[in-house]
Amino acid sequence: MAYSDKVLDHYNHPRNVGSLDKKDPSVGTGLVGAPECGDVMKLQIKVNPETGVIEDARFKTFGCGSAIASSSLATEMLKGRTVDEALQIKNTEIVNELSLPPVKIHCSVLAEDAIKAAITDYKAKTLDAAPASAQSA
Amino acid sequence: MASHHDCWQCGTPDAGSLFCRYCNSLQAPTPDYYVFLGLPRRLAVDPAILQKQFYAMSRMLHPDRYTRRSEQEKRYSLEASSILNDAYRVLRDPIARAEYVLREAGFEIGEQRSKDVPPELLEEVFELNMALDELRAGDSEVLPQLQESRHNFKLMLARIDSVLEEHFQRHDGQQDVASRRAVLEQIRNVLHRRRYISNLVSEVDKQLSSRNA
Repeated sequence: MAYSDKVLDHYNHPRNVGSLDKKDPSVGTGLVGAPECGDVMKLQIKVNPETGVIEDARFKTFGCGSAIASSSLATEMLKGRTVDEALQIKNTEIVNELSLPPVKIHCSVLAEDAIKAAITDYKAKTLDAAPASAQSA
Repeated sequence: MASHHDCWQCGTPDAGSLFCRYCNSLQAPTPDYYVFLGLPRRLAVDPAILQKQFYAMSRMLHPDRYTRRSEQEKRYSLEASSILNDAYRVLRDPIARAEYVLREAGFEIGEQRSKDVPPELLEEVFELNMALDELRAGDSEVLPQLQESRHNFKLMLARIDSVLEEHFQRHDGQQDVASRRAVLEQIRNVLHRRRYISNLVSEVDKQLSSRNA
């Protein structure tokens, strides 16, 4: 099965590979995996706490070309969006953008899961960090 | 669950699963491994009993014994011997056996989402992949870490195998179909996790042995 040009482009020139400081309170980390193909995907976002805008996103994926392309594209889509906008990203956008064939749709689902996991982690952190008075108010 | 059919040779009704009880001619073999071997449909299989049955049936069904028999029986002995070998290969291996029973019960194997994987495991898998990457890039400092990971994952496999063993017993103890299915569902999830980990172990083995070579 041939990969689409866009998948190949992301695979050969992945955007935003790397990692952010996991302990930074403005960084959310999502780690997800797809055991059936052995993929594991780590996606991180850095959020501006004032505006809620995602200023940076990084990923590191071990898996097939489509999984790498899906997470690479996901980091591009995330940058500049607010956290709430980012929650609206659907795997179908990734499928369409990369022209993924049906057997590779699970890769885009994994990327969506990773986005959600990263945001959940970020939100949990900001909740923890909030002063007790703000939480009870 | 015996197969009920008339003997192709003499027409005796309900002839018997291997040989016709009236004219003793070899019958068309059933493709169901358990029925074929005359074993109860249990997940916990005694390897000694299975092996004994395999040897006895191998002798009974061997094509050499049918050289002077009819063409029909020659063909059946070939088919039966081939089913016997497949059945033995599958049923003697607990994992292949469980996968066989799952498929026969209509379960799909292979569909799984990340939510079924515990986060600590993902963390470990990610670290392992990082170390493998570094090793491929020529960094041998990660070797001790990889060896430790391999050891941990092998322990995990051993734990999973004992969990499977318990599930097998529980499955066999259930009387009704619905409760059996519920256990089969759990078994499938355990099998998925097992495959994930065993794939990792073989990847680490491959990398480590290619360096030693």
